[in-house]
Amino acid sequence: MPVVQTLKRLLALCLLLANGGPSDYACASEPKRAAPAAQVFLETHTAMGTIFSIYLYAPTEREAHTVAQAAFDEVDRVEELLSNYRPSSELSRINREAALGPVVTDRETFAFVATSIGWSARTNGAFDITVGRLMKAWGFFRANGHVPSAAELAEAGRQMGWQKVILNSQERSVRFAADNVELDPGGIGKGYVVDRMVEMLRVEHVTSALISAGSSTIYAIGAPPGKRGWKVQIPDPEDHQRPISTVVLRDTSLSTSACTEKYFVLDGHRYCHIMNPHTLKPVEDMVQTTAIHPSATASDALSASLFVLGPEASLHLLKGMPEASALLLAGHGRVEHCTSVRWSDPEGGDVCHRTATKRNRKVEP
Amino acid sequence: MNRRDFLGGASASVLASGMLPLLAQDREKNVSPDDTFSVGVIGPGSRGQELIRQLLRIRGVRIAAVCDIYEPRFAEVDQLAGSPVPRYKDYRHMLERKDLDAIVVATPLYLHAEHVNAALNSGRAVYGEKSMGFTPEDSLSILRTVSETGKIFQVGHQYRYAPWFQDAVQRVRDLQIGKVTQIVAYWNRNADWRRPVPEPKDERLINWRLYREYSGGLLTELGSHHIDVANWVLGEQPIDVIGVGSIAVYHDGREVDDNVQVIFGYSEGRRMTFTSMTSNSLMGEQLWIYGTSGSLQLTLEDATFYYEPRPIHAVNPHSEMMQHGVTTGASFRAQGEMPYRGPGTRLATASGDDPTLVACRSFVDCVRGKKQPLADVQIGYAAAIAAACANRSIQSGRKEIIPPAPAAG
Repeated sequence: MPVVQTLKRLLALCLLLANGGPSDYACASEPKRAAPAAQVFLETHTAMGTIFSIYLYAPTEREAHTVAQAAFDEVDRVEELLSNYRPSSELSRINREAALGPVVTDRETFAFVATSIGWSARTNGAFDITVGRLMKAWGFFRANGHVPSAAELAEAGRQMGWQKVILNSQERSVRFAADNVELDPGGIGKGYVVDRMVEMLRVEHVTSALISAGSSTIYAIGAPPGKRGWKVQIPDPEDHQRPISTVVLRDTSLSTSACTEKYFVLDGHRYCHIMNPHTLKPVEDMVQTTAIHPSATASDALSASLFVLGPEASLHLLKGMPEASALLLAGHGRVEHCTSVRWSDPEGGDVCHRTATKRNRKVEP
Repeated sequence: MNRRDFLGGASASVLASGMLPLLAQDREKNVSPDDTFSVGVIGPGSRGQELIRQLLRIRGVRIAAVCDIYEPRFAEVDQLAGSPVPRYKDYRHMLERKDLDAIVVATPLYLHAEHVNAALNSGRAVYGEKSMGFTPEDSLSILRTVSETGKIFQVGHQYRYAPWFQDAVQRVRDLQIGKVTQIVAYWNRNADWRRPVPEPKDERLINWRLYREYSGGLLTELGSHHIDVANWVLGEQPIDVIGVGSIAVYHDGREVDDNVQVIFGYSEGRRMTFTSMTSNSLMGEQLWIYGTSGSLQLTLEDATFYYEPRPIHAVNPHSEMMQHGVTTGASFRAQGEMPYRGPGTRLATASGDDPTLVACRSFVDCVRGKKQPLADVQIGYAAAIAAACANRSIQSGRKEIIPPAPAAG
């Protein structure tokens, strides 16, 4: 790795640690270029089984390419750290060895696992990074979906559970309290890597950019010149021709969970890839959840958690997260129930009332 | 009496006067599309019979004569033609016929030059199977004969006539996948390449492809097609070649290798790698053409383009995204970790007729209209001499320089 790049990453990490977490970084790096960039560029990168995009204002294509590549290098670095598709990743090493005894790992990986377990505790297990075995039982690893038998489900249930992950912060070790536990970063990994990309771009003094990780997690740095922020459309699951809402993001992130891309159909029934760790089955009564939060790691984990929790429990969770906002569309295949929390878009009014859902409700906890 | 009947009755003095080439040229020019087109075939073996089958699908074409030294072929040709076809055991006797518009040469490789040159010198247009010549000298002699006689010669590189090859190669030449620097070509099968031999004495006659005296093996019989496509894509013949080969599976008395790996060098450091094996068919018969911005998978059935991830580009400020924003949604379907595979973009070019039929039809049209064929002698030379030099490299263990075609005239 070039020395300059290494130094930049160290600087980014220092800023992260000094400010206590990903959500605080926005004030860490003062933009040095006051003048808005003249032109927006788009660069894409394939990683983590999806496509990452960066829209970026920069004076020249060359400069845009240089900083975008620095961000994509960071994606590749994190993928090598956290991919459960790569046997060589640090997460895969933990998965192989942590049932045998404590696995000492690096600070970043330990912090990632600890953050994930924190989300499990916060959501009473609705978010569970040990969902890996359950995903495999349902065939969602490398896309080979099938309905597992009761025995298979029971076996998967014995092999998962966030309480089975024992962390020792003193020695930065991870241990599994049962055999065959497996960490799956699917519900939080893209958000985490987006936060790392944001750090990298801020270190590069980027003041206006939009990052998209396969469209499910999006982060807006600053705003396009002369605008309040970057527009993001939330699709109407029943009418792809028009969005259900358009929000304007500035120095914050948005994540969406839905079953529109990853699912399988058997005997006419559609099985979603998002698992309820309590029932050991795919979530059946949620269509789409979107969460906005200053941290992409948080919005990713939050949108997944809301999807599992359902409207009532989600409201309870969101009460304790004043910096978050959310839009939940519940129902069995069709949208039957709309819930918005601190949700505002330029059209104003209640987003849920504007939808064609059968039952509308708006709650401001 | 049509013109052919008249020519068929030309006097021996005319023939002896050396006017035959002129008369033959005249004949080619004046063949009516509705007129009968008489073909003589030298070597109606498996490939020769396939050419007969295709030629008989063209209006006006009749198989007027066949020549072979293997007696059972005649009955097979009669069966194909639906009626007895005049047969010859000596091609020179067949070429003495006055009513033949064109000659097809589909004999074993080592005889190509002898038969093609004789047919051209008899004043006929010739469709010669690939590889054009066995040795570099053979290919050069055909090149010279075509030049000296002015007769039409088409080489049996029928994929030059396949619509999806033409469409795909044009797109490559239009730089749709950037600058092509590498071509990797496979012609892999899982079969011993043997033909059944009714009488042991006929082993070399039937299985001539397996013996070095008659055949260039996998390189000439299969590889010459892919070499031709590489030449087509890269716009030139290769400069040099280095290769290896061995008999790894079929230790049955054959002399030619049952697997070969050859690297051809082109200008500007560009390369084409050809691999052929007879003990595994996974990769089949395909070329991968790699450019700086994409790849083309070209098979004997279809063409599929794959594009490298798009480099950075400027976004129109009035674009949908800039006006209305990006759309969030569930993440894309997990694809494992291999980037850039995806399904590719398969060309919608209709595959149309069998390339051999198109090639034969084009040949007949060229003879009737006195037009130069697409797969001409230069194309045949470039592929044949590359295949011949590749075999020399395998045998010598050294890199071989491939001589370019001499300047025209």
